Amino acid sequence: MKHSAPRQFLLRHPGLMRLGVIIAILVLWEIAARFLIDPLFIAPPSRVVASLGTVWHTTGVPAALRLTFFELAVAFAIAVVLGLTLGLAIGLQPFARRSVMPIVLLLYGMPQITILPIFILYFGIGAASKIAFGVSHGTFPIIIAIVAGVQNMKPILLASARSMGASRWQILRWVIFPHMIPSFFAGMRLGMSGVLLGVLLAELYVSTAGIGHFTTMFTESFDPTKLFGLIGMLAAMAIVLNELVRRAEIRFGRWR
Amino acid sequence: MSAGDVAVRVKGVSHQFGEASEAQYVRALADTSLDILRGELLCLIGPSGCGKSTLLNVIGGLLAPSGGTVEVAGKPVRGPMPRDIAFVFQENALFPWSTVMENIRLGMLFQGVPRAEHEPRAKQCLEAVGLSDFAHHYPGQLSGGMRQRAALARALALQTGILLMDEPFGALDEQTRMILGEDLSVLLARTEKTIVFVTHSLGEAVFLADRVAVFSARPGTIKKIIRVDEPHPRNPAFVTSEKFTTLRNELYALLHDEIRKAVAESGRAGNAGGSP
Amino acid sequence: MERRRQRTQQIASRAVQIGFLLALFALWYLATNRWGVNHLLLPNPIAVWHQLMDVLSTGEYLPDLRVTLTEVAAAFAIAVTSGTLVGYVVSRSRYLIRVFEPLFAGIYSIPIILFLPLYVLFFGLGPTSKIALGTTISFFPIVLSTIAGFSNVDRVLVTAARSMGASDYQMFRFVLLPAALPVILSGLRMGFTVALLSIIGSETIASLAGLGHHIVQLAEGMDMARMFAYIAFVVVIAALLNGVVSTLEARGRLR
Repeated sequence: MKHSAPRQFLLRHPGLMRLGVIIAILVLWEIAARFLIDPLFIAPPSRVVASLGTVWHTTGVPAALRLTFFELAVAFAIAVVLGLTLGLAIGLQPFARRSVMPIVLLLYGMPQITILPIFILYFGIGAASKIAFGVSHGTFPIIIAIVAGVQNMKPILLASARSMGASRWQILRWVIFPHMIPSFFAGMRLGMSGVLLGVLLAELYVSTAGIGHFTTMFTESFDPTKLFGLIGMLAAMAIVLNELVRRAEIRFGRWR
Repeated sequence: MSAGDVAVRVKGVSHQFGEASEAQYVRALADTSLDILRGELLCLIGPSGCGKSTLLNVIGGLLAPSGGTVEVAGKPVRGPMPRDIAFVFQENALFPWSTVMENIRLGMLFQGVPRAEHEPRAKQCLEAVGLSDFAHHYPGQLSGGMRQRAALARALALQTGILLMDEPFGALDEQTRMILGEDLSVLLARTEKTIVFVTHSLGEAVFLADRVAVFSARPGTIKKIIRVDEPHPRNPAFVTSEKFTTLRNELYALLHDEIRKAVAESGRAGNAGGSP
Repeated sequence: MERRRQRTQQIASRAVQIGFLLALFALWYLATNRWGVNHLLLPNPIAVWHQLMDVLSTGEYLPDLRVTLTEVAAAFAIAVTSGTLVGYVVSRSRYLIRVFEPLFAGIYSIPIILFLPLYVLFFGLGPTSKIALGTTISFFPIVLSTIAGFSNVDRVLVTAARSMGASDYQMFRFVLLPAALPVILSGLRMGFTVALLSIIGSETIASLAGLGHHIVQLAEGMDMARMFAYIAFVVVIAALLNGVVSTLEARGRLR
């Protein structure tokens, strides 16, 4: 063994090494922010963490964060329901799939960011437009994942169920439904990413009381500490939501 | 048998994978010694996991053994020796994005053959394996048997003294194996290469080899070496002769118990903590 | 018999799709011309068409198009260089892959557009902040696909080349690169798409120029017909660019 003991230890635990890399980046950030770059533009992580409390106590911030979370949750719920129903409707009927899917894919490929102003014009500057934009981003991946899942269904499984005398409802409940679960959870994961993107984009675009309002405020007053803090909190929210859906997928979605 | 006749000398080679304390520890090869004579075709045969492929990789310099040494043409083997040793693998060794011709030329490029010789040598080797019409096909367009012919052509173009073949026909169906085996015998009667050939098939070993080294179950070591006294190129009729059957039966007798042992060992490894 | 049935089904599907589009346009026309929907909500399709022709003929889109395309080109170029380089270096060692791949994948999983205000604070409202954000977002699919491409090269090919005496350079040029190329190319395509979308997005949210910004300007001026025209224009441009990139990727894979 040519390596020293600490090096061997790190070699066996890439997770720890990764943590080390993250810490190294934080240290570099700290040094750069404190000594190298104008404090108007960047804040060191230590100060950001220290002033998280101040950010939280800025009037309106907690409400804005709660509102964002609410928008995310509602948008996700609607996207899942819509995506599941439409996905099943399209996927289970071959003719519907052949006609409608190309339209779905076309819409999915469209840069929806260009119609964000239209959403605001139609749904107003309140929560409705954020939710709508989130739903618009999140529904398509779910539909596509569900349709793909249905297409993956092996005909032989349906044939054997039918040969054993299963009714249409029984086939749906006992063959198709369990088969769809992995695809459903995969779709939910992508749907959550889409909803996050849609809601946050809309929030950043226009907000009188939401987080967009505060990001603009902190940017214009050159307060990088509070800005980093607020965005950090949002990033944490995004990570948590993503993790929840990812864990759910691993727990319930993988029998393959 | 003077020393000059020995192409490859294997001395006390053993190999294990992993540390003795780890779960993945495998003693692949126990103390193995062997002299491979120049110009002979030696088959390595044995149950699964007996280390025959491991030995081949050690001889070819692709694997450094845990113990023992290998000498090729008097020189100790420390790594790949592209000028002395060429490989034919079981499958997937042809570059899928290049045509057959390009594959052969790449081999020569790697070895360091002068550009001017690429084309003539490649053409010659393609003809030798019967693929002249398929020089500009991609591996994906060829059948399994043709792909292995191409792999052989690439190895022949390197004009090495030694050819190491690791179950080259293992992925092919019985009939293709038979044809390729006969063609290989014809081809090798013409060249004077030393060939080490790993196989699972008893019939293939008897048909092709001058000597057959029979391995025991893991940890593998050479149990016995059987000689097949029959001139090359082997006549297809040899397969139906009494001599063939006798030899094949002898191999079977030697191998049968080892195969059973190997299966039992792998079953035991599957049930962790089960009683022996 | 089977082929005839398939063909009728194909035609029927096409008919549904075309019918859908026609119905959409018909509804649009009726809504604005007959049913009195407010033109501030939904402009007359004829008016939109006229505005589109006007935009195209006057070349009014040119300065914005130039800004957006330069931003995308710059961001993509930087992301490709850095992404492929870092990806290759990481792919050389299984350990480095285990350390960095989850890190990259984790960061990529959150909407990086969230960091736009930070970039605007640092770089201002000009094109630099858009390029910086575009580069950041585009970097990840490229580095991840480069790692995947190089680390999934069939080991047998590497062993065969090694046994034939290939040098490190020969191994890279004749074995690793061609083997990894299809995966890397698809990552590059993803990176381009994502750069384009995030740059238009950041222009929409915080910018002084560019296609996204222009659409917002028109929205704020309540110039609905022209805004719709512009949106259609941008959608077509995006589709064209993505189409070009996809064709390039397909060509690269055939090689």
